[in-house]
Amino acid sequence: MVHPAEDNLSHTQLSSNVFEDLLESIIVDVASECHRIARLGLERNLEEEEEELRLSALARAGVADSGNSSEANNKYVVDIFGQTHPPVANELFDCMNCGRSVAAGRFAPHLEKW
Amino acid sequence: MRTSVNRPPTPDGGDEPAKELSFQEIISIKLIESGEKERLMELLRERLIECGWKDDMKAQCRAFVKKKGRKNVTLDDLIHAITPRGRASVPDSVKAELLQRIQTFLVQASG
Repeated sequence: MVHPAEDNLSHTQLSSNVFEDLLESIIVDVASECHRIARLGLERNLEEEEEELRLSALARAGVADSGNSSEANNKYVVDIFGQTHPPVANELFDCMNCGRSVAAGRFAPHLEKW
Repeated sequence: MRTSVNRPPTPDGGDEPAKELSFQEIISIKLIESGEKERLMELLRERLIECGWKDDMKAQCRAFVKKKGRKNVTLDDLIHAITPRGRASVPDSVKAELLQRIQTFLVQASG
């Protein structure tokens, strides 16, 4: 038999202990879930950020040695994604007015003719 | 009856007194056996999600992972990183609700 006085004291402490125990389990679960996501690389945002950092470092290195400031020398300029673009956009598509096949870079002058 | 195996007699286990379980241990067993521990856990989990605690914890984890680098993080690191804040940031109302339910159980179980 437990004495009534002890009862109340131990009840308060006991319920507190039980609560802490439950809380700890839940904390471990959350940490576990996040750990798994982190290690498996399931968080797309983090992946994209890492990729952007990598590319910007790459681009910065590119700018440093090839000197894109002098466009006369360098026909092809490198952008922040490490891509180069020809001075005249050459992707072909059909003009929605006359139906002719037009190069994108020549579309504006083409439209002006009409 | 002939014994087929020549073996010494089984030691008498009745000599030692049965180990007395503390009140805490008894309660722990009763909590699990009755299923109340599971119910309490689910209740706490639900309340912690509702109040945004879990989201906060996940944000803490993400920040920690970003800082340490995702390939270097151990589960232990994460647990230690978020536990202090986790314990401190439980809303009072949630804690009160759970404590009350636990107390009720204790009273029933010990009565």
